[in-house]
Amino acid sequence: MSLAAEAFVSQMAAAEPWPENATLYQPLREHQILLSDCASSLAVQAYLRMCNLPVRVSCRANAEYMSPSGKVPFIHVGNQVVSELGPIVQFTKAKGHSLSDGLDDVQRAEMKAYMELVNNMLLTAELYIQWCDDTTSSEISRPRYSSPYSWPLNHILAYQKQWEVRRKMNAIGWAGKSLEQVYEDVSQCCQALSQRLGTQPYFFNKQPTELDALVFGHLFTILTTRLTSDELSEKIKSYSNLLSFCRRIEQTYFEEQDRDSQSGASHHSKGPSLI
Amino acid sequence: MGTVHARSLDPLPMQGPELGVQADDLDLVEPEHEPQQEVLENKDVVVQHVHIDGLGRTKEDVLTYEIADVFRAKNLIDVMKKSHDARQKLLRLGIFRQVEVVIDTAEGEDALPNGLDVTFEVKELRRMTGSYNTMVGNNEGSMVLGLKLPNVFGRAEKLTFQFSYGTKETSYGLSFFKPQPGHFERNFSINLYKVTGQFPWSSLRETDRGISTEISFPIWKTNHTLKWEGVWRELGCLARTASFAVREESGHSLKSSLSHAMVIDTRNSPILPKRGALLKINQELAGYTGGDASFLKEDFEIQLNRRLLWDSVLSASLWGGMLLAIGDKPTSIADRFYLGGPTSVRGFSMYSIGPQSEGDYLGGEAYWAGGLHLYTPLPFRPGRGGFGDLFRTHFFLNAGNLCNLNYGEGPRAHLTGIVLRLGNIARLELNYCIPMGVQSGDRICDGVQFGAGIRFL
Repeated sequence: MSLAAEAFVSQMAAAEPWPENATLYQPLREHQILLSDCASSLAVQAYLRMCNLPVRVSCRANAEYMSPSGKVPFIHVGNQVVSELGPIVQFTKAKGHSLSDGLDDVQRAEMKAYMELVNNMLLTAELYIQWCDDTTSSEISRPRYSSPYSWPLNHILAYQKQWEVRRKMNAIGWAGKSLEQVYEDVSQCCQALSQRLGTQPYFFNKQPTELDALVFGHLFTILTTRLTSDELSEKIKSYSNLLSFCRRIEQTYFEEQDRDSQSGASHHSKGPSLI
Repeated sequence: MGTVHARSLDPLPMQGPELGVQADDLDLVEPEHEPQQEVLENKDVVVQHVHIDGLGRTKEDVLTYEIADVFRAKNLIDVMKKSHDARQKLLRLGIFRQVEVVIDTAEGEDALPNGLDVTFEVKELRRMTGSYNTMVGNNEGSMVLGLKLPNVFGRAEKLTFQFSYGTKETSYGLSFFKPQPGHFERNFSINLYKVTGQFPWSSLRETDRGISTEISFPIWKTNHTLKWEGVWRELGCLARTASFAVREESGHSLKSSLSHAMVIDTRNSPILPKRGALLKINQELAGYTGGDASFLKEDFEIQLNRRLLWDSVLSASLWGGMLLAIGDKPTSIADRFYLGGPTSVRGFSMYSIGPQSEGDYLGGEAYWAGGLHLYTPLPFRPGRGGFGDLFRTHFFLNAGNLCNLNYGEGPRAHLTGIVLRLGNIARLELNYCIPMGVQSGDRICDGVQFGAGIRFL
């Protein structure tokens, strides 16, 4: 399709209202999804809840391959398919739903910088721990990742994924890092976030933005996911304002919304609670 | 010393299509200018020795099966016939470039007066041969680079490697073939391959990596093939605009299947046959030997050809098939049947019949297609006896349907066209199609349609 035609289609899509049957796709929650995918998926869910856009969560074993970018989660809205938080934020904006409209240019730049920090530090650290730490990869990541497939495809796909992530780590210079250094990086990232948040309810005072959704997705998932060691979650637990930030978003956007909506069951997708 | 004289063959019924190569053999039997020349009429003879000259890598034990019959010859005609058969058998092994037969009177101390020695002078193929060719498949062209090792271990085993770069797909394959000594039709082969295909009618891209082993053997007039195949299939969308139904099928799956195929083929040629019939029955059971695809698939193909007046041929064919999912999982888009296009139901776009979603054809779990064809020579027969004989006029009636077991009445097409036979490999068709019955969603190709391929309905 030509660029003009594609632009036309997205214009048309923008004109359509948010449909009732919008669906978010992610890997199987019980046996397959990994920390990093779970965090990204939760960030998108939190963002959509903050925008008050209803979405049904559907778990598919082949979610990763269904996604146009090869990354989860992705949403299917009308006849559009959009993957990952960044493009989804753009997509909702085109439909007239935005959380960052109230920010000025400086704040918006700052928000983007912090989102980059979270993606570069927390997400990369999650990927590192999942695939480059031998204990985690052999005990958790590879068995979970390959659980929907039968022998010998399960081994082939798991090692293929591990090799792909390790190659990426090589490219960005993380391959030489030790686990302690990675924990240290996470700790520094959390410190930066904690300082920026201070005593405010959200990063930009009273109103949540996509940065809040992203930080919540990652921190909440790390806090509630059991890995081979607790060290990663311990790093976050030392910042009490981040903990209460997670608790606040969980209460406001997940527990209360679920209580409000009668069809709460289909929206339950976040997994374990903080308390 | 005597030499078989060609003259002795004259009164014998040695002509006919089966023995057409005989003339070549006779050329080799040059009369030697010996003082005592004896003309052997159809005498009773004994074949005392059979020599094979020119063997290098080939193990002799394989060849003894092929030439054993020559010893059983009781008279001269028999010797000629059986030597000829043995020569054909040797050539069929695909390990010799040339086989020449020399029949001579026996020599040596134990030579009988009516004893004969038969000598096969063979020239082996090179240890390795390379090839480069361009292929025309079902509406697709590709360039194929091949490497062949005939006779790897000396018993007619063949190892081939092929790399093909095509207009739609790039693929490679490695195969090892071993016939049972003495029974070339009973053979065993192992294949390793990677095939990438793009299917624009479904907005689907499929990459298969697989291994298969198969055994072929004849029983009476039928040929059977038993096969196990393990394939890792990777499906993906061809474009971002692919329908969601196709997107849902994306991802990896593993198919491990056992299949059986039976073929009876009495046609005189696979391309534009003049007489004979073909029956092909294929069944595949997947899921019992591992993998995550479980289904039972049955399909058949029947073709009957009958010669009419003025070199016309009437041909009728029927195809059909059914796919049953085993267990709760629905069938995969990669396993379902597709129908339509110039090689199956003419008058429709390629594989554009049956269930679809947003313009992407999803295939069906059952199908049938029938065709009635009348092939006649060109009107007024231009180029008769030469180039013109490659062409045929073609009148036909096609009908078919593809569905998920509860779909309605099928689409039909009625058409006329001209067919060109391309050597013995493929056929090209230029048809004018008038679709007579169509269902909503099917993509028709009204008017002129061009088709090239090997397998035709």
